[in-house]
Amino acid sequence: MEKWECTACGYIYDPEEGDLDNRVEPGTPFEDIPDDWVCPQCGVGKEFFQKIA
Amino acid sequence: MRVIIVGNGLAGIISAKTLRELDEKVEIEVFAEEKYHYYPRPNLIEFLAGTIPFERTFAFPQEWYREQNININLEKPVIRIFPDSQEMEVEGGKREKYESLLLANGSFSFIPPFKGTDKNGIFALRTLDDAFELLEYLKNHQRVVVIGGGLLGLETARAVKSRGARVEVVEFFDRLLPRQLDIQGASLLKAQIENMGIKVHLGLATEEVLGQDEVSGLRFKGEREIETDMAIIAAGVRPNIRLAKEAGLETDRGLVVDDYLQSSNPKIFAAGDVIQHRERVYGIIPSSFNQARIVASNILSKKEKYEGTVPSNTLKVVGLDLTSVGLVNPEEGTCEEFRKEKKEEGIYKKVVIQKGVVVGAIWMGTKKGVSEISRIISRKINVEKHKISLLEDDFDYSVL
Repeated sequence: MEKWECTACGYIYDPEEGDLDNRVEPGTPFEDIPDDWVCPQCGVGKEFFQKIA
Repeated sequence: MRVIIVGNGLAGIISAKTLRELDEKVEIEVFAEEKYHYYPRPNLIEFLAGTIPFERTFAFPQEWYREQNININLEKPVIRIFPDSQEMEVEGGKREKYESLLLANGSFSFIPPFKGTDKNGIFALRTLDDAFELLEYLKNHQRVVVIGGGLLGLETARAVKSRGARVEVVEFFDRLLPRQLDIQGASLLKAQIENMGIKVHLGLATEEVLGQDEVSGLRFKGEREIETDMAIIAAGVRPNIRLAKEAGLETDRGLVVDDYLQSSNPKIFAAGDVIQHRERVYGIIPSSFNQARIVASNILSKKEKYEGTVPSNTLKVVGLDLTSVGLVNPEEGTCEEFRKEKKEEGIYKKVVIQKGVVVGAIWMGTKKGVSEISRIISRKINVEKHKISLLEDDFDYSVL
């Protein structure tokens, strides 16, 4: 599964790890994270993330 | 241990968050000028464009601060620091004692000294209140000129355009994003911005805002004029150094700090847009973020050095992919430059190589490889053997 990077602060979302602090289960692809989820580091919205090719 | 943090922008809040992660007992008190909890400033653009609602501009829910045991005082600007007695004064006269003080009081929108900037209809975008005022004015004024063709200027132009306004951008330099792009990239970008219906004027120096009490136009050097109902000034930011300066701390363009992010007073630290480190003033999120993480551990008396941040910028305009990292306009004869352009697809890539190491890159029209090239730059990986093929679309970064 693809990792995504926050273009504002550099945080990397790794689907294998998920983001348990914010109720995103490990194994959740980035596309399936709820739209109101924000970068757990700096807080910008999902639209600031880009796929790590 | 009682730490007082001045400012609740990214540097202030990430420092507070990190302090709490490292030490569950430290007393953390934040004083903020604005009336809002922390919001990442890039969200302002989306809020302005109407793509996210007000509630979603914030990074953390209100309960978060209590859960983290971080005490936040909103609308309580700090007006004076007394380094000798380790105290500071909050607006209204209250004095607070600190053991360590962290100045994370950020920067302000720079307003160039041309005539008439006090007229109604002149805006800058830095805070949520700025965004509210701008949106209110926009309801009855449909012609907008954005002064400044940098990242914020272009992002703001797009946001206002998506609200249905007629938008033009004026840039003082002869190209857009002079700090993040080279001539070739800038001319491609100009075409892409104009395709979105935003007119771009280059090489225009604003001299005067026209109109009685309200803006009716702008006059530029060389007697050119543009009629407009409002103007948004996006001419960069400057560190808020007044507080530090009046307290007798060393300041220059910013608040001067050493590699431990300590000011000239050992009890006062600083991070984020306000600082000047090794002659540099950054004003970008990744550097504020790094500094906040490091300063928090240094306040707790660990000794971690901040070595600087490779500047990296992504233009956050829907439909355009543009990332600029590190040194993109090297002095002649100091570096090798490799380029690849596919005009019809809007793709332009460039790497700047110095002694076999990539020191800068421009990536336009594609996201493929952008994270890899950023990492190659920050890790200073030698690419000498691959420099010719590095810009190929299918380049395999795992060989490095």
